[in-house]
Amino acid sequence: MDALPRDPVLLATVLGTSLPFLSMAVILIFTRANRQLSSRISVAAIGCSLASALFLLITLRAAPGAIQYQTEWFSSGNFNVAFGYYLDPLSLLMLTIVAVIAFLVQVYSLGYMAGDPGFSRYYAFQSLFAWAMMNMVIAGSLLQLFIFWELVGLASYLLIGFYYEKWSASQAGKKAFVMTRVGDVGFFLGIIILVIGFGNLGIPELNTAGASHSIPQQLITVSALLILCGVIGKSAQFPLLTWLPDAMEGQTPVSALLHSATMVAAGVYMFSRIFPFFSASPEAMTAALAIGTVTMILASTMAMVTYDIKQVWAYSTISQLGLMVMALAAGGYFAGVYHLTTHAGFKALLFLCSGIFIHSFHTNDMRIIGKEGGRRLTIPTVCMTIGALALAGVFPFSGFFSKEAILGVLAAQPGKIWLYAGLIGALLTAYYSFRLIFYIVLPQGGISASSDSGHHEPSHDEEHHGYIFWAMAVPVIILAGLTLILGLFFEHPLQGFISGMLGHGSASVLLVQHTTPEAHGIGHELLLALGVSAGLFGIALAWFEFGRKDSSRTGFLSCFPSIWRLFDLRWFMDIFFRKALDTAVYAGLTSLFTKNDRRIIDGAIDGICFFTEAGGRLFSFLQSGMLQYNLLVMALGAGVAILFFLV
Amino acid sequence: MNSLNTYLIISAFLFSLGLLGVLQRRNLIGMLISVELMLNAANLNFMAFNRFLTPDPVVGQIIALFVMGLAAAEAAIGLSIILALFRKMHSINIERAQKLKG
Repeated sequence: MDALPRDPVLLATVLGTSLPFLSMAVILIFTRANRQLSSRISVAAIGCSLASALFLLITLRAAPGAIQYQTEWFSSGNFNVAFGYYLDPLSLLMLTIVAVIAFLVQVYSLGYMAGDPGFSRYYAFQSLFAWAMMNMVIAGSLLQLFIFWELVGLASYLLIGFYYEKWSASQAGKKAFVMTRVGDVGFFLGIIILVIGFGNLGIPELNTAGASHSIPQQLITVSALLILCGVIGKSAQFPLLTWLPDAMEGQTPVSALLHSATMVAAGVYMFSRIFPFFSASPEAMTAALAIGTVTMILASTMAMVTYDIKQVWAYSTISQLGLMVMALAAGGYFAGVYHLTTHAGFKALLFLCSGIFIHSFHTNDMRIIGKEGGRRLTIPTVCMTIGALALAGVFPFSGFFSKEAILGVLAAQPGKIWLYAGLIGALLTAYYSFRLIFYIVLPQGGISASSDSGHHEPSHDEEHHGYIFWAMAVPVIILAGLTLILGLFFEHPLQGFISGMLGHGSASVLLVQHTTPEAHGIGHELLLALGVSAGLFGIALAWFEFGRKDSSRTGFLSCFPSIWRLFDLRWFMDIFFRKALDTAVYAGLTSLFTKNDRRIIDGAIDGICFFTEAGGRLFSFLQSGMLQYNLLVMALGAGVAILFFLV
Repeated sequence: MNSLNTYLIISAFLFSLGLLGVLQRRNLIGMLISVELMLNAANLNFMAFNRFLTPDPVVGQIIALFVMGLAAAEAAIGLSIILALFRKMHSINIERAQKLKG
């Protein structure tokens, strides 16, 4: 501890990652009644975190290798569990992403949540999330990562079920918690196998061992596949993807922060965190590639049929996470991390814009928002279009660059099927995002007249210029700016920064050589053209169906009601889970446990009570109330005792 | 005949008499007197042991004094209980006190 003041890096790390926890404690214990003060404490704490994250990023941008602080937590036999911080380019980048988005979202929430009775509680949970997420990012060992991984899940549960008196919200929170937990069981088993087989959970050690193949191949494959379960649960990959759209029950800023930009990206982050370890197992990589592809396609199809804006972005998040998993599984370390970065920016932007619409029109339905004049809110409309362009992968927005990087990696794969899947995904993504944009910007039959003189206007004017509107608009504008510059100016610095870790650090250098254009048969220009045209074709299709003056505005899918139904019901996944839950858990396990409880445990306790009571009744005749009988028994007893001891 | 056994037999006789009184008399005052008899039997034992076995420290006599003090206290408390019972039941017959059972 005495090193703390002398080492600014350690000081910044400790301060930045623990202040949000302090703020949560202070809010929950002392200042719950005072909403203003609570929100200020929380925003100040996350502001300090943001400052220290930026400080760390700038100070350590040219550090020769990873910086590690650790102290022994406990040891058993020759197995040591360390607790500490591991600062390398990846964790610094992620720390900055988390701090930036968490800060912007908390500022945004000042407007969005204004007047909510649970305002203080909301900020306490936000602080809890920020603390857990930042500590997860800089965790030095897999066990520490797992602990904060679970805490992040707790924060997610609390925030999804924030309006716990609302049935659907509490159900959604429960669903998210249980489904991610299913994956986490696999994750934990993977950790246990690693402890038994390898005996060390430090992230650098794992990566070194993976790169130098010093762990038995079978062990790596089994544990990597199990840890992949954790990724599947947290990042909502197939088959555990249906919790994320339901998680949209939470407030929109929560969706922006947790369920699109940072928390769900934790799975992808963990994947890239121990990337050299994963890449030592070709089987696990192939499994991840297949899962990512299936997820991406399924989620994009689901997004094509829903009318709920937040649901569209939720499905889109799932599909983009699938794309990141694909990129990583195909060996594109930088491509995956880069897309994680840009996606965090533009998806948070999309959600926050939707939040402004939802706040103003009190509905999630994109058709109603369009009809009631959504496009009159100029700032969110423009910013949302920027976000959608980035999502569709249009030059010069950030998504373009990261998507191209991913397509390049996929093209380098031996089978071309992954590349085609990626292109289809890009097309569908562009289609569904612009379907939404056109619904809002070019509503059918123009903006309805009633809203011109309707009840919305006065409140709009007020919100348009008031504190509430600007608290929400400024973060949105900042994010839109980030979306613009992240791709144009930051691709190469980021690439050098991220890949530098692999070169300097422990991992193998061979991972860096991913996307030289010549490596993958198809020329770089052709690939670029393919990627861009997939996106543009999707936008054009959306315009043809939803944007044109005399278009039907129903989409080609409505010609196939059965397919529509399939997509709308999430490929029957929820129904399947429900059935599985009913038969396996409720009819099987639960009824057995109920029987055990009713018959065996309750029966045993009832039996004890019955015998005690019956015994009491049986012997109560001895109590006559006659003092002298008692005395007689006592004297006789004493006499017997004397005889016993003397004779 | 001036030996320890004589005293012990007398005290055992006294004790048995007291025990019989406590167990058999229905009159509370009578029971109290019988308890006194038992205590005196114990006192006699103490004195006899003191006199014949360890005459030098007079512990037995001191304890006999204590027992007499105890007996006085016991009589005071016992009499007050009897008085209270008499006020309630208008009798000092122990059989009446059966009403006190729960």
